[in-house]
Amino acid sequence: MTFLRIGVMNELQYRANFFLQIIQSVVAVGTGLIVLALIFSQTDALDGWTRPQLLAVLGVFTMVGGVIGFIIEPNMGRVMADVRQGTFDYVLTKPVDSQLLVSVREFRLWKLTDVIVGAGVVVWAVIVDDAPTGLANVAGFAVSLLAGSLMIYCVWLMLTTGAFWFVRMEMLQELFTGLYRAGQYPVGVYPGWLRAGLTFLIPIGFAVTVPSEAVTGRLTIGRLAVAVGFVLFLMALTRIVWQWGVKNYSGASA
Amino acid sequence: MPLIDVRDLSKVFEVPEREPGLRAAAKSLVRRKTRDVRAVGDVSFEVEAGEIVGFLGPNGAGKTTTLKMLSGLLHPTSGELSVLGHEPSKRERDYLSRITLVMGNRNQLQWDLPALDSFELTRAIYRLREAPFLEQRDELIELLDLGDLVNKPVRNLSLGERMKAEIANSLLHRPSVLFLDEPTIGLDVVMQRRIRTFLAEYNTRHDASIMLTSHYMADIEALCERVIVIHEGSLLFDGALGDLSDRFAAHKTLVVTLGEAADLSGYGEVVEASPTQVTLRIPRGDTAAVTGRLLAEQPVTDLTVEDPPIDDVIELAFASGDS
Repeated sequence: MTFLRIGVMNELQYRANFFLQIIQSVVAVGTGLIVLALIFSQTDALDGWTRPQLLAVLGVFTMVGGVIGFIIEPNMGRVMADVRQGTFDYVLTKPVDSQLLVSVREFRLWKLTDVIVGAGVVVWAVIVDDAPTGLANVAGFAVSLLAGSLMIYCVWLMLTTGAFWFVRMEMLQELFTGLYRAGQYPVGVYPGWLRAGLTFLIPIGFAVTVPSEAVTGRLTIGRLAVAVGFVLFLMALTRIVWQWGVKNYSGASA
Repeated sequence: MPLIDVRDLSKVFEVPEREPGLRAAAKSLVRRKTRDVRAVGDVSFEVEAGEIVGFLGPNGAGKTTTLKMLSGLLHPTSGELSVLGHEPSKRERDYLSRITLVMGNRNQLQWDLPALDSFELTRAIYRLREAPFLEQRDELIELLDLGDLVNKPVRNLSLGERMKAEIANSLLHRPSVLFLDEPTIGLDVVMQRRIRTFLAEYNTRHDASIMLTSHYMADIEALCERVIVIHEGSLLFDGALGDLSDRFAAHKTLVVTLGEAADLSGYGEVVEASPTQVTLRIPRGDTAAVTGRLLAEQPVTDLTVEDPPIDDVIELAFASGDS
């Protein structure tokens, strides 16, 4: 769409970012690999996950992180900035769905390198693990990856709606990025209370662990159905929260 | 049916109230005290198609709140509101594609890209077909004298140039109702005049209604035959700009040119006097009588009757709202 084109054009203004981003993606994945090597120098399996399987988790984690950086984080940041500066008024005077509009205004093209690097790691993991690569597995992976990204989008947007009341919400971004790091490992490795929080409150567990299970052939159809159902529920809830927020929005006064 | 129909419109905001100081701040974390502030109270007016209405009032009078209710951003607390047959707060697609809101101090063009690219974005949002879009775009570029500026990144434009580009961007969908909140704020006199001329031109070309707020009386005088004055949320005056002084200015100014020096202090308050020219301030109601006497009794060679400057009248109007 036009928005994507404009976003890309905006990014092309700053070409140096592209190379920086590649370096950053490679360094991040490299660090992840080193940590994995350290873990497996002590043990053979982490909560039943073998080395190639954890490699898959790292790959998925990097991919979802790329999706977040590509579209979710910049758009949500823009909403907060708009609310603070009063330019959110312009969003609400446009004859399009406001939720859709605020979700597709910004793109950080170079963050897609994370998606590509992450996909590379996933493929590598599949080869090393000799995991099944049937159509069902690939489809399960695609569906769960999409579901995972949508979950994170929903939760982030609901939190962003808080900006209508509290205006200053930047620390939210930081908080979310910090918590997202927890997704580097399967949620199963965390103690029960944290696992529940990471799965349902901030569905990072779902977003990263479920696609990883798909890659390594551990995903059952039942679990996938739960994930899809949860996404649909979150999307409906997000819609309600957003509309309620917009209705209560009083705007930064002139 | 009038294009804009406002009946007993009110808006009450609930605002947190808190005393200064750390302790009060901590207390308000637990229990927030709120206070109702009436931003707009029982305002009624109508605007017909093609009218340009100036919306006047000091800061905080409720102008922006009213414009925001008209453009669907805020839900009225009470009262009725209809624009183009729609209820604005429903924010229906058909309604929003026929209005526009421009706020002089808030930008919506993409900062790093030329305005032309932002225009494309606007086209996508409003789903404009290519031919009418290009026609409208080129007309706006011409009328606003934008020329090559639309090819430069917005960040490289001057404030005035940027405002012109913003206005063009806001009118690409050819709205028939324009809500303009301080569109000329911060601009130099030449640029203000340019935008004024443009608005008048747009108004006649497309028979568009314009509601405009501005702190520059020159904007209002040049564009608006009718003004609505609000103060502390209430409507003080609604009528022709010329009638504003009849209503609020209790005095008129007489400038008398004399053939030979004379003492005119018996006719009114002397504001300024040189041997041959005297400026008098007289009560509005006495104008005819005093001029008659002056012409009969004094060696008058020329005499003009003036209303006080519009800025002073507005000030008087606001002051009357205070009392």
